[in-house]
Amino acid sequence: MKTKIFQNEGFTSFLSSLAAIVAGLLVGLIILFVSNSKDAIPAFVMILKGGFEDGSRGLAQVIYFAIPIIMTGLSVGFAFKTGLFNIGASGQFKMGAFVAIYIGVKWSSVPAEIHWLVALLGAMVAGAVWGSGPGILKAFFNVNEVITSIMMNYIGMYLVNMSIVKTIYDSLKNQTKPVLKSAVLPKAGMDKLFNTSNISIGIFIVILAVIVIYIILQKTTFGYELKACGSNREASRYAGINEKRSIILSMLIAGALSGLGGGLLYLSGSGKYIHVLDELAPEGFSGISVALLGMSHPIGIFLSGLFIAHLEVGGFNIQLYNYVPEIIDMIISVIIYCGAFALLFKQIIKKLITKPVIDTDNKDNVEPVPLLISGADKVSVHDEANDVTRQEEDEK
Amino acid sequence: MSTVYFIAQQTMYFAIPLLIVALAGMFSERSGIVNIALEGIMIVGAFFGIGFINIYQKTMSGQTLLILAVLIAGLSGALFSLFHAFASINLKADQTISGTALNMFAPAFAIYTARMIQGVQQIQFIDTFYIRSVPILGDIPVLGPILFKNAYITTYIGLIIGLISWFVINHTRFGLRLRACGEHPQAADSVGINVYRIRYAGVIISGVLAGIGGLAFVVPTSTNFNATVAGYGFLALAVLIFGQWRTNKIFAAAFFFGVMKTFASAYSGIPFLKGLPISNEVYKMIPYIATLIVLTFSSKNSQAPRAEGIPYDKGSR
Amino acid sequence: MEYVVEMNNITKVFGNFKALDDVTFKLRKGEVHALLGENGAGKSTLMSILFGLYQAEKGSIKINEKPVKINNPNDASSLKIGMVHQHFKLVHNFTVLESIILGRETVKMGVIKKDEARKKVIALSERYKLRIDPDAYISDITVGMQQRVEILKMLYSDSEILIFDEPTAVLTPQEIDELMKIMKELVSEGKSIIFISHKLNEIKKVADRCTVLRKGKCIGTVDVETTSKEQMSEMMVGRKISFNIEKKDIKTGEAVLEVKNLTIKTKDSKKNKVNNISFAVRGGEILCIAGIDGNGQSELVYGITGLMPINEGQVLLKGKDITKESIRKKSVDGMSHIPEDRHKHGLILDFDLKQNAVLQTYFKPRFQNKGFIKFNAVAEYARKLIKQYDIRSPRDEDSIVRNMSGGNQQKLIVARELDKDPDIVIAVQPTRGLDIGATEYIHKQLVAQRDQGKAVLLVSLELDEVMDISDRILVMYEGEIVGDLNPKEITVEELGLYMAGSKRSGGYEN
Repeated sequence: MKTKIFQNEGFTSFLSSLAAIVAGLLVGLIILFVSNSKDAIPAFVMILKGGFEDGSRGLAQVIYFAIPIIMTGLSVGFAFKTGLFNIGASGQFKMGAFVAIYIGVKWSSVPAEIHWLVALLGAMVAGAVWGSGPGILKAFFNVNEVITSIMMNYIGMYLVNMSIVKTIYDSLKNQTKPVLKSAVLPKAGMDKLFNTSNISIGIFIVILAVIVIYIILQKTTFGYELKACGSNREASRYAGINEKRSIILSMLIAGALSGLGGGLLYLSGSGKYIHVLDELAPEGFSGISVALLGMSHPIGIFLSGLFIAHLEVGGFNIQLYNYVPEIIDMIISVIIYCGAFALLFKQIIKKLITKPVIDTDNKDNVEPVPLLISGADKVSVHDEANDVTRQEEDEK
Repeated sequence: MSTVYFIAQQTMYFAIPLLIVALAGMFSERSGIVNIALEGIMIVGAFFGIGFINIYQKTMSGQTLLILAVLIAGLSGALFSLFHAFASINLKADQTISGTALNMFAPAFAIYTARMIQGVQQIQFIDTFYIRSVPILGDIPVLGPILFKNAYITTYIGLIIGLISWFVINHTRFGLRLRACGEHPQAADSVGINVYRIRYAGVIISGVLAGIGGLAFVVPTSTNFNATVAGYGFLALAVLIFGQWRTNKIFAAAFFFGVMKTFASAYSGIPFLKGLPISNEVYKMIPYIATLIVLTFSSKNSQAPRAEGIPYDKGSR
Repeated sequence: MEYVVEMNNITKVFGNFKALDDVTFKLRKGEVHALLGENGAGKSTLMSILFGLYQAEKGSIKINEKPVKINNPNDASSLKIGMVHQHFKLVHNFTVLESIILGRETVKMGVIKKDEARKKVIALSERYKLRIDPDAYISDITVGMQQRVEILKMLYSDSEILIFDEPTAVLTPQEIDELMKIMKELVSEGKSIIFISHKLNEIKKVADRCTVLRKGKCIGTVDVETTSKEQMSEMMVGRKISFNIEKKDIKTGEAVLEVKNLTIKTKDSKKNKVNNISFAVRGGEILCIAGIDGNGQSELVYGITGLMPINEGQVLLKGKDITKESIRKKSVDGMSHIPEDRHKHGLILDFDLKQNAVLQTYFKPRFQNKGFIKFNAVAEYARKLIKQYDIRSPRDEDSIVRNMSGGNQQKLIVARELDKDPDIVIAVQPTRGLDIGATEYIHKQLVAQRDQGKAVLLVSLELDEVMDISDRILVMYEGEIVGDLNPKEITVEELGLYMAGSKRSGGYEN
């Protein structure tokens, strides 16, 4: 019957993400109105249209914005799945970007066909190294990875700035030198397809990454171990899993993903340079939004990355109406905020759909229905048999 | 000697906001709500506080203006924190996500509003609050130059907040009940304490303090507000953890980091350090590296409130 | 008849689940009234309603003949109802004094007047002979003292109606006697007591009347003195239960698990948690480690299985030294562990049944190929376990384990661990929190292992369980073995003395 589709976890997740998106957009509309009601509607429409405003060039722009944030989204999402909050995606991204550019500028002896590939690999290694720091500290010293990651963001930023000035500095423009042609990502005919030079094979690499992460998480014993550690560290130990190793490997992979994102962005040949400023890479934080909106699922992340990029292009365009693009960040933060109680939304749907059954026999095969609504993936189940209520406990 | 005074005075500028915001975190977390939105609340507090100064500095000046701005900053921080309180307490949402959302919203809001109103994102203000020397107190040997010269009243506000916080948490009924809610809310509930109300109070207090902390950060160190507090909210979290959630240790930790930050920013004013061939960037990294090292060694025996981060369900036992 | 508490026709529903169905309960002044029922019968729920933690959907409450509405513990408190909970509601880093006054603090302008409170607490403590140390931290005091703190909480707020929820779960037989004396003392001072339990022996000892609940319904109220244990248990369970388990007469074989001079320290205690322990478990026997919770049994098992590091000593499995082996290697070598905390260690609640079924074996070639999971093999295996061990769940092998009942979760763990065909099964409190049906089932499985010649190391706090199914009993007290006993040759009371450290036997004297 119709309740079947609502029992599908994936569908209800999708619905609640949708509800969060609608809520965020509404708030955006209100903000537009409050700031300048005259152009609010056309500006809102422009946001919704996003990349479609500009035809294939607009789409290319959406893809261009999407690539780095899908990667950081994968990074954050992968870490989430394994129980860690990788708020350090920013630092890993910047490290990856720097190494990619460095290889692109300095390593002229690498054969041209693979120069870009080597640069990307370097970016992955840099990101992995940077991600492993918080991982090691968490695994061995039980330090909260949120704080350490944030510290690594700042340390990375200063380190990169310092290194740029010492090695690949364009002092006139206060940014990195341009990379050699051979290090720029190949276009493979995409530029003709989209009628713009602002496109490359980067998107295919991203798709490949999405598939690989999906396979790792869903199909391998390695993914099983990581998810086990993320869900219940103690039980993983009991199962003989080396949880310290899992945490570190997880952060290594997450770091590599962010680093790759940095490499992909700065080697895209679109005239992007790292400016030597005390600024954290915003792509890292967008990655958090992407991961949360995509429910930490690789496919979801891919789609939400595209969606957020779409909004960002729209936001860029509304400057036409003299609105400030930061409104997009506000919209996204509201989406995330609403997403935080997406689970609440799921519970409401479930409650509305399932028939109430009074079951005094309490047969062992009846699902004890959650007592009251509780937070993200923590269902409060009153277990009379054990006289306790189950909640997933925070591990600190 | 004047170098020592200089270091001490600069340290105040950095340590006091850290102290206030770390205490903000303490009130929230010890009531059971993880609050990583301190950064965002600081930005909101600073935005409205500096904004207020910017608008009214033509008609007002001096300490009156600043004190009013402090009140505005605290109020705006409190209101902003209500979003976090609502999501965490009523809707039992993931507190880290809610906090992250607030952190994302605040700078975007600050930039958007500033640019829509005045065209540029930086909000300027004229510093009429600088106290060269407090009458009488400033002339006390040693203590005078350290505490009462080259200061701002935000320093004193911060110290008073510190003392009051210590007293409230340890010696009042509210403090006892707050602590119970953060360690074992079922125990508090079973003796008739309204856990939801106490937690709301905890988060609102953290909003007030973080808002004030944001203003206290910007005023002594700059002449404009640029929609950022340079990661201070997160440093304050580190201070909270390093201080093991206890007022006295938080106090010490805040000053430790204040000194680190001072070396980072003001080393050019210290003749000895200026001469060394260490790049500017390395100095900037010091507070963050110091934080990492300190946390590595203090996290083993964490005294974090046991029930923090876990939404409280009245129906559960 | 003067009833000091009347709960009439109470119905309580949680979502889809009817916890209480038209239950009536009446308490006379000055009596000790027991509330008997299995886990899940509704006893705690009924009392939580009386205490204001829950509100009933239907029914009414009268206190001292007056109808009342109890919306929260404050209301209950002002009606002079107090409750000592089964799981103590104490804050670990509060002092005894702070714990007692929490919620009822004497204040002046918000500031707590500690000295006044202290005087009152000490006075109460002396009057009712409840020994406590006002300045000790809750985490540092014994369980017995913690319970006294809970009792003082009630007395501090002048409670007249006292509810004790399973108070004896954590006490030695001697401490239980002490508690019974305290209860008699309270009653003589005019208090009325409700005593929730599923332990017939204790109810027989101290209660005047007993109300039996079963699956949310009130079966009846009886006079304890004139009702036999068998009659009460039949009311509780709904059928006659045999208190004895059939065990085959079997000859024990070689030592399967040997523990030699094992010492385990933990960083929060100066004394050794496990102090130079040696014993062996032979094939074909169920060896039970008995003792009060907190005497090192948990650490002993964690050390043997590898979850905790061992400071000194050896563990041998079939003669091979496995002391330093990894947890996985021990498991593969033939050790199975049914853990004490099924949610902390035994299961990953967010995973589904089939993923949990292979928690210990997913890496074997049967379930994976070059790192890729063989989903069909895993699902098939899960289905096999479900059928063989009668595990009930909402969606069979695809059920999320969090949504399964405690009994079935435990059956899953038992199924998984026994199906590995281990040489030794280490089961720690395997029937904790389970109803009689599930308990019987698990006991049968463990006995079956033994009958096949395998070794079983059982750690239990339930005296009945210890006496019923073990072949040999080792009593642990403060990290040491203080007795090696034959269940056929001792009484429960004697066992209690060993557990309380009052007795030591052959070779274990200090």
